[in-house]
Amino acid sequence: MNTKEIQHLYWRAGFGITAKTLQALSGKSRRFIVDSLFQEASNIDALTLNLADLEHYTPAMIVKNKAKRGEFIKDSREKLKDFNLLWFDRMITSKALLRERMTLFWANHFVCRDTNIFHVQQYNNVLRTHALGDFGDFIKVISKEAAMLKYLNNKQNRKQKPNENFARELMELFTLGEGNYSEDDIKESAKAFTGYNHNFQGTFILRKFNHDYSFKSFFGHRGRYDGDDIIDIILEQKQCARFVCKKIYKYFVNDSVDQDRVEELASVFYKDYNIENLMHYLFMADWFYDKKHIGSKIKSPIDFMVGLCRTVPVNFHSNKDVLKIQKLLGQVLLNPPNVAGWKGGKNWIDSNSLMLRLKTPSVLLANAEISVKEKGEFEDAFKMYNRKPKRNRLVNVSVNWKSFEEQFQNASFEDIKNHLILSEISKGTQTYLKTLSQHSKRNFCVQLMSLPEYQMC
Amino acid sequence: MCTVNVITRISNVLVMDRRAFLKQSTLASSLFFVPSFVKAFEQVATSQLGYKRLVIIQLTGGNDGLNTIIPYNNDDYYRNRPSIAIQKQNVLKATDDLGFHSSLAPLKNLYDNGNLTIINNVGYPNPNRSHFRSTDIWQTASNSNQYLSSGWIGRYLDHYGKNPYNAIEIDDSLSLALKGESFNGIAAKNPNVLFRTSQDPYFKNVLEHYQDDHLSEHNLGYLYQTMISAKSSAKYIFEKHKAGKVSKDYPNNEFGNQLKTMSKLINSGIETKVFYASLGGFDTHARQLGTQSRLLEIYAESIEAFVHDLKQQGTFDDTLILTFSEFGRRVKQNAANGTDHGAASNLFIIGSQLKTPGFYNDLASLSQLDDNGDLKYSIDFRSVYATVLERWLLVEDDKILNSNFPKLDFI
Repeated sequence: MNTKEIQHLYWRAGFGITAKTLQALSGKSRRFIVDSLFQEASNIDALTLNLADLEHYTPAMIVKNKAKRGEFIKDSREKLKDFNLLWFDRMITSKALLRERMTLFWANHFVCRDTNIFHVQQYNNVLRTHALGDFGDFIKVISKEAAMLKYLNNKQNRKQKPNENFARELMELFTLGEGNYSEDDIKESAKAFTGYNHNFQGTFILRKFNHDYSFKSFFGHRGRYDGDDIIDIILEQKQCARFVCKKIYKYFVNDSVDQDRVEELASVFYKDYNIENLMHYLFMADWFYDKKHIGSKIKSPIDFMVGLCRTVPVNFHSNKDVLKIQKLLGQVLLNPPNVAGWKGGKNWIDSNSLMLRLKTPSVLLANAEISVKEKGEFEDAFKMYNRKPKRNRLVNVSVNWKSFEEQFQNASFEDIKNHLILSEISKGTQTYLKTLSQHSKRNFCVQLMSLPEYQMC
Repeated sequence: MCTVNVITRISNVLVMDRRAFLKQSTLASSLFFVPSFVKAFEQVATSQLGYKRLVIIQLTGGNDGLNTIIPYNNDDYYRNRPSIAIQKQNVLKATDDLGFHSSLAPLKNLYDNGNLTIINNVGYPNPNRSHFRSTDIWQTASNSNQYLSSGWIGRYLDHYGKNPYNAIEIDDSLSLALKGESFNGIAAKNPNVLFRTSQDPYFKNVLEHYQDDHLSEHNLGYLYQTMISAKSSAKYIFEKHKAGKVSKDYPNNEFGNQLKTMSKLINSGIETKVFYASLGGFDTHARQLGTQSRLLEIYAESIEAFVHDLKQQGTFDDTLILTFSEFGRRVKQNAANGTDHGAASNLFIIGSQLKTPGFYNDLASLSQLDDNGDLKYSIDFRSVYATVLERWLLVEDDKILNSNFPKLDFI
């Protein structure tokens, strides 16, 4: 594979590539590179926060004592921030790139939000564990997760008074898509999920008294179905494979959907609903590397931040600052806007978010200044980057430029540009870049990262 | 588009008064065909003759209309909601049948002053009960089985807009409602931050060198174009915001702040025809009473401050405030002391030029519900839009809504 193709693969299957890895892989075959991506992803390394100081809370305490419950929620919320950071950091440092990329993808498919850190952590690791596994098993586990039972009100779904929220979103957002089921299908399947509940620890419990054991009619079948049966019937619909593959295509290939390719992927997926097989097929396909796909996608705020930190490691002095940046850019991990998740694509970009994004590299890496000095002008880069941080800075960070410089020690300015910018650079912008002074690689890096082109992957 | 606009605009002159014509041409998407004498009058026209604007408030999550405007003499209401019905003694009674939630005292005042019209049973055929889909339907003004990629305000901008700031959403991001086929509004939660960010010399240089390499249809071209129009809009909005004043204290919450920002902009004489803001959290599947009461209070207190403020600064007469939610909630409560997604619900119109202050129509039957047990709609929400477009913004509603909807008589 040529370097552009490797970079493309690493941006879509991971969060960009380091100069060192790119060098090592250059010239290797597609099969070798793709296989090693899967090999590195085979290890499932759960993300765990030290929650020892929350373990003294007992169910009795929280159920009976309102003040204690409030205290628990407050402590839990603080831990959620730490967990956000831990996840963010994982994406920057992980070797299992594909698994982490898939985890992020599924988090925006099986969208969920909760305030109990124990349940959130468990849910996040379910996503990670099943990220490349069997899709059917995956949904069944998701349907029984404490965080999901709460988020879509399925724990309030009882035989006596059904609550349709989960059944509806299961079909609309997780498996079939709007318009591929009837209101009756929702009512009937909601019955099958009645009595689903969980205990304090977050383990699934079926409350038999609340479960509806009667016959349900669903997609032309009739039986005393429970939730797992419903999911099996949904999987029989090819539309389910099609729906998931369309989402995969939009996320991993291109915002504008090619129906034929989606159908091709759906045929592969429908055979066994094995996610790993599907992704392997995709990354091996010639058309995945079409020029029109390379650098055609707009990075999500997390793609953007993680990619930036993988190129120039940034150490945030306060956890709050990471959250602040995520919030400003419009994507806070663990905190999706609604059950449909982030729309992505052009939707990341409005006037406000775009300007903030373009400004972020200079805020983080260069005390909010982008050098605009022209060629020939004297420039003391060392002084510029090492002066004392101003007060009232948006964030407090220390930047590990050494790592960047080691990576790009032998690289030319042209090399750096090719490494950081995947899309074609607009002609006028190329001309402008040439007028800029090329004394400092650091400066040049910040300048490149502040271009609209850097927002593309 | 230009030619069509001009022809329609000229024909409009015959039926429309001169003042309306001048105001509209301020927003004309292309000025090439507008005679120069008209251009010369624009500034005068807008600043001296007033500037009708529309404020849209979305209560996201699906507000429970029946516990907002309460049918306090209706047995079906109390029978269906044994633990969450609002008790008669707590209702702020307006008519013999209907009254306000106790958190809505400020709204009741507007009602008493003739500044509020409540339209009951607003919805659409074959209602969709998904938040996202129904929000899209309301924001794009589509049929329930139709998928549109542009919002109704966005299409208003396509036809009559000139700058992104002609429609401003007071938020961090732009809703589909304000995204047109070829033109977008702008989101400006904090005009100062927006401006500071736009004024970077590096960006200026990059943009000055940018040539459209036929990239405009791709994502990258989209980024450049967004950047260019953002920069000039940010400057304009910042300057207007700085000049704008408020005469009232606003509740210190996010929604209150949104309306405060809006008021500053309105009172600065900004050329913005549509403002958009939203208040979220209405998805009350469980423990509805406390949550909804708190949210309605935030809504009503902020609106009260906003209306007082605009009245004091003389801009209320030219402002129409429309409040809606993507759907109402099921008549029958659920087991979690909440309500599930429903269908038709009520909608508020606030202004000083109302033809039918009070209740526009009766509440639909609570015994003859649709198959899901939801309220049946009697007024299509697009009739509300059509009325506002034609009679308030003075434009051709059918061009924007792609269809002819019967007009209502509330303005």
